Amino acid sequence: MTDIPSLRPLAAVAVPAVAIAFIYASNRRPNVREAWTLLAAAATFLIVASMVPGVLAGDVYVTNLGAFVPLGGEDVVEFTLQADALGMLFGLLASLLWLVTSFYSIGYMRGLHEHSQTRYFAAFAASVASAVGVAFAANLLVLFVFYELLTVATYPLVGHDETAESRAAGRKYLAYTFGGGVAVLAGTVLVYVLAGSVAFTPGGIEGLSTADPTLARAAFALLTLGFGVKAALMPVHSWLPDAMVAPTPVSGLLHAVAVVKSGVFGIARVVLEVFGPQTVGDLGVGVPLAAVAAFTLLMASIIALRQDNLKRRLAYSTVSQLSYIVLGLGIGASMGGDAARFALIGGLLHIPAHAFMKLTLFFCAGIIHVETHTDDISDMAGIGKRMPLTMAAFGIAAAGMAGIPLVAGFVSKFYLLVGTASGGAVAFTVALLVSGVLNIAYFWPVFYQAFFESEMPGGHDRKPLVEHRIGGRADVAADGGHKSDENADVGEGSALTGGNGGASARANEVQKPADPNGDYAVDRHPSDHVKTTEQGGELGDGATEMADHEADDHDDHDHHHEGGPPTGGWETRSWLGGESTWFMLGPILTAAAGSIVLGIVPGRAVFLRIVEQVVTAATPAMAATAGVLF
Amino acid sequence: MSELLPLLVAVPIVGALVGLVVGYKFERLAWPLAVVTSLAHTALAAFVAFEVYAGGEPLSYAVGGFQPPFGIELVVDGLNAAVVVLVAAVALGILAYARRAGPHSAAFYTGYLLLVAGLSGMSVTGDMFNLYVFLEITGLAAYALVATGDDGRSAVGALKYLLVGTVGASLFLVGIGYAFVATGTLNMADLAEKLAGVGYGSTLVRASFAFVVTGLAVKTALYPLHTWQPEAYASAPDSVSALISALVSTVSAYALGRVIFSVYTVDFLSSVAFAREFVLVLAGISIIAGSVLAVMQTELKRMLAYSSVSQFGLVVAAFAIANDAAVTGGVVHLVGHAVMKGGLFLAVGAIAARTGARYVGEFDGLAARAPLLSAALATLSLSMVGVPPAVGFVGKWYIALGAIQSQLWPIAVVILLSTLLTLAYFLRIVERMYFRSAAPREAPAERSTGTGAAAVADGGANDDSDTDDERPTLGRGSDVDFGSPSAGMVAVILVAALLAVALGPLVSTFEPLLEPTLDLLLQP
Amino acid sequence: MIWELLLTRYNYIVVALLLPIGAYMMIENRNLVKKVIGMNIFQTGIFLFFITSAYREGGSPPIVGSGGEAATYVSPLPHVLILTAIVVGVSLTAVALALIVRIYTEYGTLDEVNLREVRADE
Repeated sequence: MTDIPSLRPLAAVAVPAVAIAFIYASNRRPNVREAWTLLAAAATFLIVASMVPGVLAGDVYVTNLGAFVPLGGEDVVEFTLQADALGMLFGLLASLLWLVTSFYSIGYMRGLHEHSQTRYFAAFAASVASAVGVAFAANLLVLFVFYELLTVATYPLVGHDETAESRAAGRKYLAYTFGGGVAVLAGTVLVYVLAGSVAFTPGGIEGLSTADPTLARAAFALLTLGFGVKAALMPVHSWLPDAMVAPTPVSGLLHAVAVVKSGVFGIARVVLEVFGPQTVGDLGVGVPLAAVAAFTLLMASIIALRQDNLKRRLAYSTVSQLSYIVLGLGIGASMGGDAARFALIGGLLHIPAHAFMKLTLFFCAGIIHVETHTDDISDMAGIGKRMPLTMAAFGIAAAGMAGIPLVAGFVSKFYLLVGTASGGAVAFTVALLVSGVLNIAYFWPVFYQAFFESEMPGGHDRKPLVEHRIGGRADVAADGGHKSDENADVGEGSALTGGNGGASARANEVQKPADPNGDYAVDRHPSDHVKTTEQGGELGDGATEMADHEADDHDDHDHHHEGGPPTGGWETRSWLGGESTWFMLGPILTAAAGSIVLGIVPGRAVFLRIVEQVVTAATPAMAATAGVLF
Repeated sequence: MSELLPLLVAVPIVGALVGLVVGYKFERLAWPLAVVTSLAHTALAAFVAFEVYAGGEPLSYAVGGFQPPFGIELVVDGLNAAVVVLVAAVALGILAYARRAGPHSAAFYTGYLLLVAGLSGMSVTGDMFNLYVFLEITGLAAYALVATGDDGRSAVGALKYLLVGTVGASLFLVGIGYAFVATGTLNMADLAEKLAGVGYGSTLVRASFAFVVTGLAVKTALYPLHTWQPEAYASAPDSVSALISALVSTVSAYALGRVIFSVYTVDFLSSVAFAREFVLVLAGISIIAGSVLAVMQTELKRMLAYSSVSQFGLVVAAFAIANDAAVTGGVVHLVGHAVMKGGLFLAVGAIAARTGARYVGEFDGLAARAPLLSAALATLSLSMVGVPPAVGFVGKWYIALGAIQSQLWPIAVVILLSTLLTLAYFLRIVERMYFRSAAPREAPAERSTGTGAAAVADGGANDDSDTDDERPTLGRGSDVDFGSPSAGMVAVILVAALLAVALGPLVSTFEPLLEPTLDLLLQP
Repeated sequence: MIWELLLTRYNYIVVALLLPIGAYMMIENRNLVKKVIGMNIFQTGIFLFFITSAYREGGSPPIVGSGGEAATYVSPLPHVLILTAIVVGVSLTAVALALIVRIYTEYGTLDEVNLREVRADE
């Protein structure tokens, strides 16, 4: 393993950063502006990819920019960027998926005629620059710098809609992530004081194993808490579902890939290269971390069952899946031998695996929104006819999420299961298996809804899990206005009082073309939605007019209360791309293909090799005995 | 080289007097004269700082040939060389801004240069009583400058500032008196030795510390001694609030640090635990209370004023922690805060000049109307919050590091949480600027909007409650009375924003320069 | 004991009286001019404290006569300092009074409470 001085890690950060200026400069010419985005994305990816062979050979590319915050010549913290194996895992992932997402963004933003597109693309480039910086940071402090910059850069994306809802989400996002940043900073300072260094060292920083255990535990807790905010560990996860008000490509790349993974990646750095698995095990902090992760992955799966908004369901799925990674890290650090190795590999491999699959899922949600303005699963009955390719891709990715073989999720979950089971941590094995079942439980309805149900009245079944209150109580007081409950509440009204409740789960849904004379739940529950009276008179006029009407009148988030099947049901479109533009379909298929490649030939895909190298470096003592499953 | 030290004070005073005389006759020459003086002063300051840092030795000069400890000594070491340069550079920058923003009068430029002279004097002096005199010169010039706004509000603000400020200076004087009674000397270096000789247990010494710290805390505007500050900042013309916010409290905080390290020394802090706790508690309360009060403000300049209360809490906490890391952080944050807060006040002033917005509620959708200024304001805000690698973060890193090294956990927690507290009041501004669109409504212009460019352009109408109603409002942003900020004003603000970011990485070159001085000051 | 204190340390007692009187006037008096007077009284207390500290038992004024030197002088330094401080105090009073004149022409009142009411309407 040799350090190679090189400007390439710096270039990988600098290219997207410089691109921001060009993007702003070509503000008035969208085509030129998008060209800059694509150019920067391609260049970044090529720069990162060019380092892969060297990294696989055990080399580390280092850019040293000199001392950052020196103090009396003792232990200097240097501003260094280095492309090592672990950093490469995240850097390669972020830059590759940025390229994919750039195409998708163009299709999405233009398809919706979004405002402030320049700011959007500039902030996107800034986010990627920060994410690559997070990947290539050579010590905790540099990591913290980019971690905070990532927060700032993604804030404009979360608040993009400029509605009250998105502003609230943005505030919450900043409050949570800056709070996490404070914890990271505190942990970093503590590590620096304890060990005299914050540089990432495979196997852990030396001084920490001999430091005062109480303070070392405090530092570990602070760091994992801080990174755990972005990794959406419970109970600090709640910014993530709210941040789903962002445009879908943002949710896709940033909230399934870059932002949340930067948190997970931070935890990986802390476990593997700050404390080292050995010290983590000695301090006894690995199992608590894994326990938090196990709790999160179960709870989030259960919550996801009841989310009707597709993006929110995906968000909770993200919360759950991220915990697989954290669980792998936590459990891997507290066991020895092959079990630890398998758990670590499983956890780390889930970073790219989940990224590809979740990106596919988000892209599908986004394309559905662009093409049909449908956001809620209950409106998606029969949508498979309208968007066959999209929903097929959705099905593949969802299968992978649930851990079905031949898709990426299977490989990483298999490693995790083997690791936990062979290490004797059977409780965690059980949690993983239960969560897998729950995954199927919340993804299957979407797929089923899309392909096997009809949008026609009476054509699909009722969804008690989504529509009813928990525990089945009907006499709960009127809704207090909590956003996430609204849909469920309204749906309940429909199911209980509307004789034809099956026609639509959402009572305030205005498009009920097949049943223009029926009883509308909205009439009996006028307080649910102020707009009902003025909409009532126009009900027969068809969906398009209503959609316009909504778009004009709502200052609320315009993705709400529209969509669903048009009059006469979904039209059937061809499987050959008739459903949308290739700007969006291409990225979806690419990401889906990526998940399959990772699932079928993980040994060939570069990510598994990188992961194995990381784990070997972090656990040198165990390397000799380790076997490889694939 | 040490002969240059008195010039640091003399040049602005001479410039002030010449400016007054010439400007009385030829009003248009007042600004060029002030700029020439300020340029000369900056060059001098930069040269002195270069000598100090290159030579690694403090420069000292005995005024009038009377040798210390009897005569007055001027000393520049690594600690105050930075402050001297800061004073000169910030004064020059704000002078460039004031050319268009006003106030425009020979008297203003005279007061301006006198303030610079006073601040330079406070920075370089090595004598306690001399410090008091310069403190009062600074104060007098500042009171007069605050009152240059031409409505009644600025006069009231200035009088309040004067009364509270004088009490602060008087308490400082009492403290000097106690120290003098205990030791019979006023020279800082001499005092340090003789106070140690008297013994830190002596009631006189302890009381003098309490009085000196309290007096300087008034001038630094720590909670709860900050009461003069918000009104003074808010009612002063924009150029003046920028100058005062950037420098007056800064130099007072420097003086506090200087007194702690050079007069009472670190030994005093470590042997009298109560003294350190007293300062730490004062600083900690200041950090929290200042932020909470800032969140509650609706007027931008008042919000920024309370933000200063909070930020100086950080600096003073750093001085009280008194180890290498913390003091480095204190100095970095002192300089960084001056640049950031000065820039923020200038940006707010320029925004008011362009759009008339002075209240938080009027900032909706500002980014669309004034993109450059909004970007600068956002950058400065984020830097103040402590987003790395800007200078606001670097200062905070060192201070937090120092607190944890000394295992002072409560203050460490407060320092770290100050990030979130700062975020609380800056976030709402940024959010309004970028994520709300401007509602087409009338600005509440019937409230007195302070005395910035708009008010100055009024022509100094005295019956302001009547004219205020006729002041152009938001919808007519291009109105003559608002004018628009000149390119020079915007340039100064952008330079401040760039500096706020660039100074962060530059600290790594500054720290080794500071190192020898700190070794000297902090040796046990 | 108390009498002895009163007789020998009366300067300090006067200082201890002047400071709170001045501070009280500044805080409690509604009239702005009287606040400034309070400020002056406060400062005077401090001046007196310094001058007192210069006193030496049996000392003579620190002027070296033609006939040689006396045994003890009172300390000249505090006198010099206080001369400076008095000058500062005078300038402060002047500035304060100028501001008060401004306020009076603006608002037509010097009463703090009235002033607050007038300004609330601004």
